Amino acid sequence: MTPPRPPAEWLEDALGDPGAEGNVFSVAGLLELDRREEFPADACARLDELGLQRFYVPAEHGGGLRSYEDLLQVIRVLSRRDFTVALAHCKTYLGSVAVWVAGTPEQAAALARRVLGGEVVSLALTERDHGSDLLAGSVTATPDAFHHRIDGEKWLINNATRGDLVCVLARTGAPGEARGHSLFLVDKHALPEGTYRCLPKVPTHGVRGADISGIAFTGAEVPAGAMVGEPGGGLEVLLKALQITRTLCGGMSLGMAEHALRLATGFAERHRMFGRPLIELPQTARVLAEAYADLMVAEAVTVLSTRAVHSLTAEQSVISAIVKYYVPTLADQVINRLAKVLGARALLVDGPFQKVQRDHRIVGIFDGNTLVNLNALVNQFAGLARGYRRGLVDREGLDAAADLGRELPPLVPARLSLLSRGGCSLVQDLPTRTPVADQADGHVAELRRRADGLHEELARTRPAGRDVPPELFELARRYAALYAGAACLRLRAGDGGDEDDQGLRRSRACLARVLGRHDEAVDGLLPVLRERVHDRRPLSALPYRSNSRGAVTHAV
Amino acid sequence: MPSDTISTWLRERVAFYVECEPAEIDPDVKLVEIGLDSVFAMSLSGDIEDEFGVLVEPTVAWDHPTVNALAGYLRGVVT
Repeated sequence: MTPPRPPAEWLEDALGDPGAEGNVFSVAGLLELDRREEFPADACARLDELGLQRFYVPAEHGGGLRSYEDLLQVIRVLSRRDFTVALAHCKTYLGSVAVWVAGTPEQAAALARRVLGGEVVSLALTERDHGSDLLAGSVTATPDAFHHRIDGEKWLINNATRGDLVCVLARTGAPGEARGHSLFLVDKHALPEGTYRCLPKVPTHGVRGADISGIAFTGAEVPAGAMVGEPGGGLEVLLKALQITRTLCGGMSLGMAEHALRLATGFAERHRMFGRPLIELPQTARVLAEAYADLMVAEAVTVLSTRAVHSLTAEQSVISAIVKYYVPTLADQVINRLAKVLGARALLVDGPFQKVQRDHRIVGIFDGNTLVNLNALVNQFAGLARGYRRGLVDREGLDAAADLGRELPPLVPARLSLLSRGGCSLVQDLPTRTPVADQADGHVAELRRRADGLHEELARTRPAGRDVPPELFELARRYAALYAGAACLRLRAGDGGDEDDQGLRRSRACLARVLGRHDEAVDGLLPVLRERVHDRRPLSALPYRSNSRGAVTHAV
Repeated sequence: MPSDTISTWLRERVAFYVECEPAEIDPDVKLVEIGLDSVFAMSLSGDIEDEFGVLVEPTVAWDHPTVNALAGYLRGVVT
């Protein structure tokens, strides 16, 4: 039996040639829709035909989602082609995840049928006057004998208008209380007429074609079976579900940063300055090589963390916060530095690079912004310091996450926890782990030295129950960087394809980038990058077969 | 363990977090009203585990949202 093709390869082929006229996934066509602020309806319909929605439904409910690494690949490949399409289609997973985490078997079975049938599911959390503060919401759900009556308005909701079902966070208790909110899966088609209306699409800076709108309920009656999880369980269920989706957000950054790097590299190959190709100028060569190394760092963090959803599930409160802070922040920096390679061309309105740059900014904002995620880390400092001091390591779970060839155990949602009792195995393994050989020029020793120093600081930190002082956010940033270094180090040893010279050079370059040290191994990545761009292969260290077509290569 | 020992410890802990004197903590006022952020209140579960050697849910302070309610619950699980 031949092994199934990795979804990254299957999907990239299915999306077809990005340069072909008439292809619904052609970059030129999708840019034109963006210019007109028009929803990519044909592209989404084609994804439905391809059955992409099977990746949004866990296998135990009849779908095709066995490994979150598969879903990560789907998100990455779509984001690499066009983020508006990715956001529009993959949102159905975000809308459904609360039911997969906390729904009854009946709720899950019913939702699975509808998602597999191509219906769109949205998640409605934010309101006009309350952004990231989930407990400040004023949408209410009032019970009577057989129903809940939902009143109020959700705003800035992706797919609120297009959605067939909307998962709504509504207040069922006292305002501002952790147990005062519940989740409801609202079937718009089943609501009594006149009890809801969709709000106009909001013009946005990025993803201009996306259905970012809202929905207003007035006495919308939903059946008792619409509640997801326990009464008052809304915040808990959401925070657990977001641990999965925040990790997957890394795939959006990987896809867009890869697209940006491919565009910038292609430009630097073609464009001449002072009589030679731009890419041969030392400054340009350095920026491109560093961007490639940074992309490999982001990939190591995201892939290991996504596998950890399965195997280090109880640590995901820490891991997901790291990914959601670190990866979009790093990708924003990469894209902004690449913009300088393109110079004035990066500013061309309606150009592909400019779209990536605009689109990517939203990743650091939605689904819990950067500060929310750093705060989530700060709140766990005590546990992280304790775990490091005691050397706690979930060996089996860490090995499964880091050894890319290994089959992952199914996710058991009940293992998701709002706090990680064991801290963070990947980081806590640093002091004991013997690397293959420290061919990384002392980077490994430096990483360990920093780990020791940072944990001493964490242990001395006074917890902040009110306003978090800026110093603590800085410690959280350093912790995330430490995690990134540990991920690069660990994947060097774990990835079977990594034992070769190229793999060692790559991980040495990645470690140097994380540590902020100079290393000629970074410059040494440029030929690899040029070759991969030239051959239209993915800009990835993962051992997947190269794509036949690759991503965008047409002119900026 | 007597409930007032637990209660005293809890008051001290909450006071430490919200930066006031333990005497200022009304044990019947909800922690969120005292100024303890809901998400941060999960940290109490780690403190409880360290202090009393029992495993509690991270959401224990959500389900028992005052010092007295939490002390009452802990009296039942701490031996």
